[in-house]
Amino acid sequence: MAAPRKLSMKQRYAALTRDLDWDLSYVDEDKAYPYTSFEGIKIHDWSKWEDPFRLTIDAYMKYQAEKDKRLYAVLDSFAQGQGHLQLTDPSYLNAMKLFLQGVTPLEYQAHRNFAYLARFLNGPGPRFAALCQSQDELRHAQTEIHTLSNYNKYYQGMHSWQHQHDRVWYLSVPKSYFDDAVTAGPFEFLIAIGFSFEYLLTNLLFVPFMSGASFNGDLPTMTFGFSAQSDESRHMTLGLEAIKFMLEQDPDNVPIVQAWIDKWFWRGYRLLALVSQMLDYMLPRKVMSWKEAFELYFEEQMLGGLFPDLAYYGIKPPRHVEHAIAEKEILSHQVYWTLYQFSFAAGFTTTVPSEDAQKWLAEQYPQTFERLYKPLWDKASAVVDDGGRYFYQGLPQLCQVCQVPMLFTEPGDPTTICQRHTEFEGERYDFCSDGCQWIFEREPEKYVQAWLPVHQIYQGNCGGPTVPDVLAWYKLQPGDNGEIAGNVEQTAWEAWHATSSAEEQAPAPVAGN
Amino acid sequence: MTQSTGPTPTRVRQVGVDIQETEENRAVVEAVEADNEDCTVRHMPGLVRITSPTRIVVNRESVEQRLGREWETHEFQLAIVSYFGHIAEWDDDQILIQWDH
Amino acid sequence: MAVRSIGEYKFPSRSRQELYGDDQLVHLWWKGNLWFCAAACFRAPKAMSWNDFVAGMVNPLFSCDPDFDAATTTFTWTVDDKPVSPAGDESLEALGVGHKSLITCVAA
Repeated sequence: MAAPRKLSMKQRYAALTRDLDWDLSYVDEDKAYPYTSFEGIKIHDWSKWEDPFRLTIDAYMKYQAEKDKRLYAVLDSFAQGQGHLQLTDPSYLNAMKLFLQGVTPLEYQAHRNFAYLARFLNGPGPRFAALCQSQDELRHAQTEIHTLSNYNKYYQGMHSWQHQHDRVWYLSVPKSYFDDAVTAGPFEFLIAIGFSFEYLLTNLLFVPFMSGASFNGDLPTMTFGFSAQSDESRHMTLGLEAIKFMLEQDPDNVPIVQAWIDKWFWRGYRLLALVSQMLDYMLPRKVMSWKEAFELYFEEQMLGGLFPDLAYYGIKPPRHVEHAIAEKEILSHQVYWTLYQFSFAAGFTTTVPSEDAQKWLAEQYPQTFERLYKPLWDKASAVVDDGGRYFYQGLPQLCQVCQVPMLFTEPGDPTTICQRHTEFEGERYDFCSDGCQWIFEREPEKYVQAWLPVHQIYQGNCGGPTVPDVLAWYKLQPGDNGEIAGNVEQTAWEAWHATSSAEEQAPAPVAGN
Repeated sequence: MTQSTGPTPTRVRQVGVDIQETEENRAVVEAVEADNEDCTVRHMPGLVRITSPTRIVVNRESVEQRLGREWETHEFQLAIVSYFGHIAEWDDDQILIQWDH
Repeated sequence: MAVRSIGEYKFPSRSRQELYGDDQLVHLWWKGNLWFCAAACFRAPKAMSWNDFVAGMVNPLFSCDPDFDAATTTFTWTVDDKPVSPAGDESLEALGVGHKSLITCVAA
């Protein structure tokens, strides 16, 4: 008798993922899976869902464990080797503070909602893929927190990220983005997060962060980033399979999916405004400009590669994409200029870009930097030379949809702020762009509920009426916010590098809580 | 609306994969280079980016030859950072990335 | 288009005027001056006089611009795109300023 043959990947996947499913006999399918019809998406055959990774639970566990082992080896050597001193400059960590406050809580949100999909999608294939992603997202949240906790011992701004995610003005941008997605139905969530966030835009978020870490001496972040990103490839696949599956199941799904692509491209793109300034301004040693990243990861790969593929199903490139393309010359400058004047109320610090940094910006943005933004920095420098520091004395007007301060300019006119508004049931609502206005007008009932930080402060819901009241409610500690120059973090950094005595380096002079 | 085709309208439609720069992955990158004549390899901080105007194939046997040990295609999950294109095939012997349509 | 949902989907605005009592939200935009990255949002009494609005809200904000001088910088004003010539003791409400109105100025 022949020895039992090892099953092939295909057979193992069929046996362990699909064959363990059963047909329901004592309960109706629409009672067991009550949320997959109200969005109008028609699915005729759930077995048509493809998982190219052909992942089974044993293989999943084996490789995830290996990824974690590799990461924790790096974290150990970081802690043992005084890794916190290896950065290019402590101001680099502003990018990581933004990441921890803004992105890590989203990983946890994603974990929760993919767990919901793992229960409530009708087919065993997508349920298992969602289960793996749910576990991945939890792993990402945990490893990010664990990795960055090594810096929290020595640096500012990382002690209350979870609390701040729910309260601080600029963090309402990522928070509201995810709130919007998890309160949609399962199919819209798959397009919002699985497709738009994980496939269309993820490279613009993760790869610059991780390459930035690699370039700025932050080994552990680079390692957790690549570790997470290896899961991300699977998530990209899930997003792409989800969209193809919906489009192939019924032609009536096409216009619904198109509207979701239109909405979630613009929502995601506005969220990435925070990343654009990180690349161009926050990183002490630059990796690539936002413009270059946008051209490479979005225009070339997505508009040039993906959308011709989706055209087969009748899908067009996202609505308002031409505005995003036009903004690539100005976006990061406008965003950092805004953060510069509002960093008194932020969990990170800002400063006037150095001469070298401005030279680099002028080279990267020959059309716009010297003409439009250098004069502003010169004026801000003059204020500093006079012993001052420019902070905006007030609160900004916010966009009702993306919740970013209304800093964006009119298409084709980078010197005039874009103002849009719509009246709904007798009340006026303001928007930063045609994209956000269009999103509101599609579903006004959803966005009238927006928890806009500025409005909440004025309603008295944020600790009190004064700026110090609000900052205390944000749990900002001295040194977390404001100007980089002269900050406690900068001073401590200089002291650490001035001394060679191990005893003097040992304590953590600026530890958070 | 304006339909964009990216900065250069005549651009070839690429597929690509980003691989973490590690000792083991060097064998994977070499295998991909050997088996995909038209591919381009670019080194970026921490990662290697492989692009091709047609498709990218990763062959288990080619990787094993260079690694000098058994290598299952599942291990590619430890190497991959990102990709663009569609994973058209992933079985015991081969991984294939290309656009569908 | 309405939200597709599993039940009735109807919620009040989280920024409706009644939440601010006798006050309302007012936006102030110095058009063409990029020193201010965005228009400002204030909570102001409907009955606030124009003079009080200028002294208590406009000037403190605009003073962060080193080129601004409250005594010499003059503006033309619009409220929600309608030109206005505000007089000193006129109330914001009388000027046509409503909840979340946009008061725009351009330096003359």
